[in-house]
Amino acid sequence: MSTFSDPRVVELEFPSGSAYVAIARLAVAALARGAGLEEEAVEELKIALSEAATNAVLIHEESSVAAPVTVRWIEQADRVIVEVADRGPEPGEQDEIDQFDSQGFSSRMVMSRALLEALIDGCEFVSRPDGGTVTRLMVNRSPA
Amino acid sequence: MELVLDVRKTDSVSVVDVKGEIDVYTAPKLREKLIELVSEGSYNVVVNLEGVDFLDSTGLGVLVGALKRVKAHDGTLALVCTQEKILKIFKITGLTKVFPIHDSVEAAAASGDEGA
Repeated sequence: MSTFSDPRVVELEFPSGSAYVAIARLAVAALARGAGLEEEAVEELKIALSEAATNAVLIHEESSVAAPVTVRWIEQADRVIVEVADRGPEPGEQDEIDQFDSQGFSSRMVMSRALLEALIDGCEFVSRPDGGTVTRLMVNRSPA
Repeated sequence: MELVLDVRKTDSVSVVDVKGEIDVYTAPKLREKLIELVSEGSYNVVVNLEGVDFLDSTGLGVLVGALKRVKAHDGTLALVCTQEKILKIFKITGLTKVFPIHDSVEAAAASGDEGA
């Protein structure tokens, strides 16, 4: 049996297709509710997870990568961490994101980054030694 | 997961009632509907988000794309949304300054009429 002093880890792997993002979202929402996160925090984590999983699926699609996307849930005493791992190519300098289009509108990727930064307590992008990127989402837990 | 779209047209405004979750899987359906409306000559559009349970950046991208299309015809795109969890997404991304957001279809349609 897990205790709060031990990390609880759940790993999900889904095919790299847009239809599966909703399933990952539902699974993480259920884990977050099970971990006792407030409903508002669950909703915000769902959006952050959706952003990270969508970015993973799209980078696989753009680079014709057939590998699955991995979602890893890590429950710790003071926070939960959700890692979304893709097998896409190494991002270049800030992924050469086009921040604005010719009419001054933000790109989807810029909006995605803004949501990731605003909705959860921490977000990191870590290169995998064997290729791909891990997007690490962190949500602090309220003291019991 | 399902996204249900219903379209109502008046003389000057087309209202799209959206129900369900808008994400990378369902957003193309909304994009196609909005492109279809503009191609049919509906340049003043109201998108009613009151039935939307979930929205992420892919949905925002579709709405921004539709705004560009109607603006190319001097049209308008207004949104209806009173749900705080959805409004928060627009606030974080700065899109409350881009879209007129109303609390009822009637108010949004009236703003579309003014732009017509």
